[in-house]
Amino acid sequence: MKTITLKARINSARCIGCGNCAKMCPTLAIFMKGKKAVVDEGRCLACANCHQRCPVEAVTLEKLDKPFTVRAVTRDFEREAVEAMCIKAGFNPGQILCYCTATRAEEVAAAIIQGAETPEEISFRTGLRMGCSVECIQPALRMLEAAGITPTPPEGGWQWYGRTPVLQEISQEVKSKYNHRGFYFDSDIALFAEVVKSERR
Amino acid sequence: MSNPPIIPALPRVSQYGVAPGQVTKRAAELPGMTSVMLAELYPDSPPAIYPGAEDVSVVRKHTVSALKKVNMDMIGPEQSVNICASHHGFTLLGGAPYAEMLRTVRDEIENRTGCRNIRLRAGVGLRFRETEEYIKSFGLDAYFGKGKAKGVAPIDEGIPIETEIGTLYGIKAVYDADWIVHAHNSDVREVHFHRQVDRAVKPFGMSYARIETRSTYHQNLGPRGANFTARAIFASDFVQSKFAFAAFLDMSPVGVIGVDADNDLYALNDRLTIAGCRHYGKIMTLLGEVDECIAVLDFPCPVPYVFAAGVIYANFAGANTDLFDLDMALPAYTWYTEAFYGRNGPLLESIPPVNPAIKMCVHNYAWGGYPSAFFSERIPTLVVGGEQAAVMDRDSQNVEYMAHAMIAKNLDSAMHFAHAASGTDKIIVFDGAAGGINVSTSLAGLLREKAPGVGRRVDGELLPKWLRQRGIDPMTALG
Repeated sequence: MKTITLKARINSARCIGCGNCAKMCPTLAIFMKGKKAVVDEGRCLACANCHQRCPVEAVTLEKLDKPFTVRAVTRDFEREAVEAMCIKAGFNPGQILCYCTATRAEEVAAAIIQGAETPEEISFRTGLRMGCSVECIQPALRMLEAAGITPTPPEGGWQWYGRTPVLQEISQEVKSKYNHRGFYFDSDIALFAEVVKSERR
Repeated sequence: MSNPPIIPALPRVSQYGVAPGQVTKRAAELPGMTSVMLAELYPDSPPAIYPGAEDVSVVRKHTVSALKKVNMDMIGPEQSVNICASHHGFTLLGGAPYAEMLRTVRDEIENRTGCRNIRLRAGVGLRFRETEEYIKSFGLDAYFGKGKAKGVAPIDEGIPIETEIGTLYGIKAVYDADWIVHAHNSDVREVHFHRQVDRAVKPFGMSYARIETRSTYHQNLGPRGANFTARAIFASDFVQSKFAFAAFLDMSPVGVIGVDADNDLYALNDRLTIAGCRHYGKIMTLLGEVDECIAVLDFPCPVPYVFAAGVIYANFAGANTDLFDLDMALPAYTWYTEAFYGRNGPLLESIPPVNPAIKMCVHNYAWGGYPSAFFSERIPTLVVGGEQAAVMDRDSQNVEYMAHAMIAKNLDSAMHFAHAASGTDKIIVFDGAAGGINVSTSLAGLLREKAPGVGRRVDGELLPKWLRQRGIDPMTALG
């Protein structure tokens, strides 16, 4: 869940048409028209990536007159499926997946059940990745995988490239090689299992 | 004995914080404030080369000397080199020592190899323009030459890196040279994340890495396996084929104690693991003995990264637990811990609370640009000035920070309220004071009283345990 208070605005006169903003927008809210970037205001959730990386500082963030909140709510009949998807992905439904917006696993699962099939659509529906946009791409991909969905990265974009390994997939050979150096892989696997099993929410 | 307060680190011009002119009073100026020097608490603290009798040129001298043992023969005159840096170094003692080390590494490469295509690639945390600000502020753009100094961010174009645990991703611009030089520092800083396991390797999984990799670190590999992300990348054939050497600003809580350099990053890492546990272990354990206090944030960094005695606020928030002890899975604060807070509290009984000694936090000067609502939600927080509250409100990573904090008109009214509400006169200030710590007289007394016992416990019991947990024989390491 995220409360949106700002919107990105592009100064067309300054825009050099590099397209970087479009390549790194997590909700696909920016597209190129001719050689200028354009913001689809209906999709901008103000993560600020464009503002932070534009090489000519052509993007400003302007305050919204009417802030709004994005969230996905689990409907009663979805509860069981939400729980199952979170657990399959290795998350407790009540745990936080996005540290900036405090979006929880159950909310991401609800968004997927309600039709989100890509990380971009999850972000748009829940606010996940709408803070730093860095730390929660893997949970989004893991949740989609648990739902049986294999998304493809936006063509030509830098939004994300792929799912990466999880702790449970590290081979015994690698673990044996490095355990003695302070990497407590098996203990952390047990910790994750305990969190997933917890009935607290 | 009562020392005057140490002059705190100056506010810095940055888009992530209020303008320096709006920081009208520093906590060190409050009545009743004093300081305790680290060398006074722990006479076995290593001597600092900076700050000290010499100016920052002392760092150049030490860098040149450290690089003498490094082989640069692999670098040809017609080749390219990326000196890879991180924002963190610029937060240490105002940033000048780190900037000087970077300049010196550049000059030594040119002098010794004839290579002239030497670039700077400076990574960031979550403030994607932060190193651009430092590059300009320290004139590194002019020093490296037009277009050769560049700030890089985890959302920039990436490249896949095949590792022994699968595909991870680096920032393309970090690796777009024939050779890379890893220019970092040994300050322990985020012990809650890396747990002083492979500390020297961490930037390969963080400031040189793409979002996929950083998310792997903070979501996939667990609180004690996280830093393996960095080792996996560094150990990859791709990175090994480009790695030339590492140069580290050697830090301790007293300041810069030297420069270390090596072609073998693992050897440097082993030295740093021992030194980090030894130099930071005592002060971090001592801060865990503080029974009650008001913590004042007063430094140009995001909330968790403000410094006192070389220890960041995030670590003080977890000082009720032993962050170096790998038998403890979850510190009171780390992102895995934060993840495991459900809507109704911790998901596990075993999750420790945030340091209950922090009765109140006064946010006199700290930046946004890092998700910090965890702190204001759990520690009663007063933010000084509406401008600072507005900085947090506009920050996409901190939309909820002010939902849990109150605004005070100025530092004096904040402190008055904090004293009245908390009932304690103990104050600790995270203001980057060099060589010591600014505290109230009452807290100074407590630190002096507890320091010897903590020192004995660390030397005799904790340090050997921490080293053993990291595969280092204490007898060999400590003699």
